[in-house]
Amino acid sequence: MTNHAQRYTSDPVLEAVGLRRSYRRGSETVQALRGVDLTVRPGEMVAILGPSGSGKTTLINLLSCLDAPDGGRLTIAGASVENLSEEELTGVRRGRIGYIFQKFHLLPSLNVAENVELPLLFLERPVDRVKTIEILRQVGLEDRAFHLPGELSGGQMQRVAIARALIVRPGILIADEPTGNLDRANGEAIFALFRKLIESEGLSVIVTTHNQHLGSQADRVITLEDGLITREEPGAAIRPAAGA
Amino acid sequence: MRYIRLALRNMAYRPARTGLTVVGIALAVAVAVSLIGFNLGYRQSINASIDKLGFQVMLMAKGCPYEAATMMLKGGTGLLYLPSTTFDDVRNDPEIAAITPIFIGVAEKEGSGIRDDSASSFAILSGIERASFLSMKPWLAFSDTPRAAGSRWFADNAPDEVVMGYEVAEYEQRKVGDIFYVTVTPQGKTEPVSHQFKVVGILDRTGTQDDGTVFLPLSTARVIFNRPDELTIVGIKLKEFSGLRLREFEKRWAKLPEVQVVSLQQVKTTLVSLVETAQAMIAAVAVVAIVVAIIGVINTILMSVSERTGEIGIMKAIGASRGDIFQIIWYETLFICLSGGILGSVAAVLGARGVEAGLRRLIDIGTHGSIVAISPAIIAGALVGAAALGVFAGLYPAWRAASLRPIAAIREGE
Repeated sequence: MTNHAQRYTSDPVLEAVGLRRSYRRGSETVQALRGVDLTVRPGEMVAILGPSGSGKTTLINLLSCLDAPDGGRLTIAGASVENLSEEELTGVRRGRIGYIFQKFHLLPSLNVAENVELPLLFLERPVDRVKTIEILRQVGLEDRAFHLPGELSGGQMQRVAIARALIVRPGILIADEPTGNLDRANGEAIFALFRKLIESEGLSVIVTTHNQHLGSQADRVITLEDGLITREEPGAAIRPAAGA
Repeated sequence: MRYIRLALRNMAYRPARTGLTVVGIALAVAVAVSLIGFNLGYRQSINASIDKLGFQVMLMAKGCPYEAATMMLKGGTGLLYLPSTTFDDVRNDPEIAAITPIFIGVAEKEGSGIRDDSASSFAILSGIERASFLSMKPWLAFSDTPRAAGSRWFADNAPDEVVMGYEVAEYEQRKVGDIFYVTVTPQGKTEPVSHQFKVVGILDRTGTQDDGTVFLPLSTARVIFNRPDELTIVGIKLKEFSGLRLREFEKRWAKLPEVQVVSLQQVKTTLVSLVETAQAMIAAVAVVAIVVAIIGVINTILMSVSERTGEIGIMKAIGASRGDIFQIIWYETLFICLSGGILGSVAAVLGARGVEAGLRRLIDIGTHGSIVAISPAIIAGALVGAAALGVFAGLYPAWRAASLRPIAAIREGE
C-alpha cells in the first residue's frame, strides 16, 4: 500500500461536520462559517485557500481549539470537542496540535531555544536541550539557538515558530498564513519544510494561504468563500501529471 | 516553580519599568523599616537611658512634668530646686532600698573656644554624693582612653575637682590633670564668678546624659551655686517596685510642699508621648507610601499585562492554561516586590544613621542613645511584608491576564 493510499484508509485525525461560527460586529451578526465539513487524515497536508474575510482564520481557530464553534461537530484524534470550556479546549490542544501564526509570535525576552522549549514548560515535560537543538537542526536553525528573536529574519522566525510547534510532537500542525509575512523564496522553503515533516514525522498539516501556487503543493486544496467550502480538489502532490 | 525563570526573564527584558517599580517599593519599605526601627530603637533607648539612671523614683520640685521627665535624661536649663530637708525627711522611709541626693546646676563654660548653636556653651554640673550615687550606678567606670589615664573619683568635699563624662571631655578636649573653667552666677547675685576645676577622671561612654555631665561633690556644687540647702533631685530605689508600692510611696510623700514624686515609668510614658505625635505623622507617611507602592505595583503589572496581551494569548495558544498564566504574572509581581523589599531593607540599614540625624533635627528626642534600631526581626518582617504586598498586588493583574481568551488576546496584541 502506498503512502497516499494509507492516508485515505486510516482513521481521520480531525473531522469537522457542519461547523458554524458567527460574530457580533456592532449591531450586526456576521456569519463567519456557515457549515463547514472537513476531514483530515494522518500524513495529509490540506491547504485552505480563500480571499480575505472568507472565514479561513475562523476555521483554523476552531480546528486548533483556540475558539469554540456555535454549532456543528468537531472530533480531534477520536475525541469529540463539543461544549468544552476554555480550559478543556486547552487540554485538547496541548500536545496534540502545533499552532503556527502568520506573525510568528515569538516571545522577545526568550532566546530561540527557550522559545522552542516553552510549550514543554506548560506540558510539564522535561526540557532536553539536545532534542531542542535537533529540532532546530530540522528547521535549519541549530546555529541560531541562543539568538534573540529580534536578531533573526522573518523566515528564520517562522522556522523557530515551526520548531516550537514541533517540540511537543503533535499529531496535527495547523498554520494560519505561515508565509503571509515572507518573501517567495522563504514561503517555498516553509512549504518544503512542511512536506519534509510530513514524510519524516507523519504529521498532518492544515495550512491557510492566499498563495495559490503554494497552496497547490498540498495533498488537498480547499477553497473557502463566504464561510462555505466552495471547491475541494487534489493538490499537486496528488494530482496526476497532465497526460498521465 | 517552573515559571520562576520565565518571570525573571520578563523582568530583565524590561529593565527600566522593573527598576522603577522596584525602587518605588524599596522607598516604601525603607520608610516602613526606618519607622519601625525608630519605634523600637526609641523605646529601647528610653529604657536603656532610664535603666541607667539607676533609680526608679525621683523626688523633684513641682513643675512641668515634661521638664521633670526630660531633665534627667537630656538636661535642661530651667531648673527648679527643693529643700534639702526633703532628703532628710524621706531617707528613713522603710520602703527605700537606696537613696541619693543630686544637685544639678548649669554653668557657662570658659576657655573651650568652641561654640555652637545648641547651647553647648553651657555645662551641666551635677553635684553628687559619691558613695550613694555610685551604689545606684555600679556600671560607671573610667574610660581607658589615653586622655583618661590616671582617672580617679574626686575626694568628698574636694572644692576644685571634677570628673567629666565621656562626651563632654571629648568635646572640651580635656584630659586628666587639665583645668576646666566655668562661670557660675550664684543664687542671689548678679555678677558671675569664675571657677577652675582640676579634671581628676574621665568616665567611659554610657550612652546616657551622664556622658555630657560634669560631676563634682554635692557640697561643692551647692556652694558655688549658693544654694546650700537645696537639691534638684532625690533619686530613690524602692525595695519592691510595683504600681501598688509606688502609689503608697507617692501618697506618703505627696504631703511635702513643693515636691512631686515621679516614677521612671511615668518618665518613660511621658517621653514616649513626647514623640508619639511625630511617630504618628511618620507612620501616616509610611502608610501612604505603602499604599502608593501597592497602587504603583498593580498599575505597573496591569500595564505590563496590557502590553503583553499578545504574548499571553500566544502562550495560551501554545498550551498555557489559565493557571500557568496566573503563576507567571503572579511570580513576576512577587519578585518585583521582594526585590523592592530587599533593596528597601538594605537602604534602611545603610541609611539608619542619616534617618537618626534627621529625626533628631526634626523632633526633640529626649535621649542620648541610638534611636533607630533595625533588628533582623524587622528586616524579616519587611521581607514578609513585601512578599505579602506582591501576593496581594499580583492577584488582580494575574487574574486579568489568566482570563484573557487566547484569540482575542493575540488580536489585541497585534
